[in-house]
Amino acid sequence: MLTLTRKSEVQHPEGRTMQTEAEAPPSLLGPGVGIQGVLEIDGELVISGVVKGRIAALKLVIAPGGYVEGDIVAREVVISGRLNGRIFAPTVSIAASAEVEGRIFHTSVSVERGARVNGRMPWRPVSYFDTLDQLPENRE
Amino acid sequence: MIFNRDKSGEPQAAQPKPAQPQTAQPQPAALKPDQTAKPAEPLRPAITTSQTPTKAGANMASVISKALKITGELESTEDIQIDGQIEGDVRGVGVKIGQNAKVKGTVYGDDVELAGTVEGKIEAKKVLISGTARMTGDIWHQDIKVESGAYINGSLKPELGKSDAKQAPKPATATTSSNVSSLTGTTGAPHH
Repeated sequence: MLTLTRKSEVQHPEGRTMQTEAEAPPSLLGPGVGIQGVLEIDGELVISGVVKGRIAALKLVIAPGGYVEGDIVAREVVISGRLNGRIFAPTVSIAASAEVEGRIFHTSVSVERGARVNGRMPWRPVSYFDTLDQLPENRE
Repeated sequence: MIFNRDKSGEPQAAQPKPAQPQTAQPQPAALKPDQTAKPAEPLRPAITTSQTPTKAGANMASVISKALKITGELESTEDIQIDGQIEGDVRGVGVKIGQNAKVKGTVYGDDVELAGTVEGKIEAKKVLISGTARMTGDIWHQDIKVESGAYINGSLKPELGKSDAKQAPKPATATTSSNVSSLTGTTGAPHH
């Protein structure tokens, strides 16, 4: 399983990314793409299509029109589309166009006016996510 | 189709929701779909709705980057570029498998270009095996080109489409409007 802490310090003080991060362009899953299974990415993933299954990423973006059914573990999650499942991420942003159903484990969350969120949003310290290198199937 | 919106300059036009005050919308970045400043993307601290269309708006093609590993089934009604790892079947229209990519499973498509590694099978009308390709398994095709240097361990079978059972199951290409139903409808499609 990929460790999500590996490149957590991508933001240098002077605002420059590390080279490894810069080399890898984000993966894009277009509106016509559907995936069923486990997705692991050591980088950024943008979903405009449909994903059913687990996702582990450094940064996950569910674009408008995108739909994810399943659990997400990431350093950062941005949702403009729809999600049915749990989020485990220190930073979560939910845009106005989003529809989220499920728990959102977070350290810092923002919800834009107009977003539909149905579920609990348990707060966790950052350390909780540092040790979280895979989905805690039975943990709350 | 969603991402086409930012080209028209009114990103919220197709949104079914009632009009909302989106303060983040008139970002200058959203108006430049050709902007290719991808390396700077991950550190952008501001998280907005308009950020996402910016990145994907330039090219609609789906990209499985080399950092991405998928275990499971992938299907696409649009062209797809695979540079990562996939364990499972791939169903697409135009499928390009890059040099560093690795697919374990069957690749279905109309037009498959292979430069990487496939362990499994290819079923496509048109197949291009480039010199860097490494193919282990059979290739069902109607039309094939193999470049010098390619490694193929398997049979080339030109019978694709001759018998109905072997016809590559194609996802509906005519109407890609509802992407949600594209997966739900055909995930359990039986094969071999």
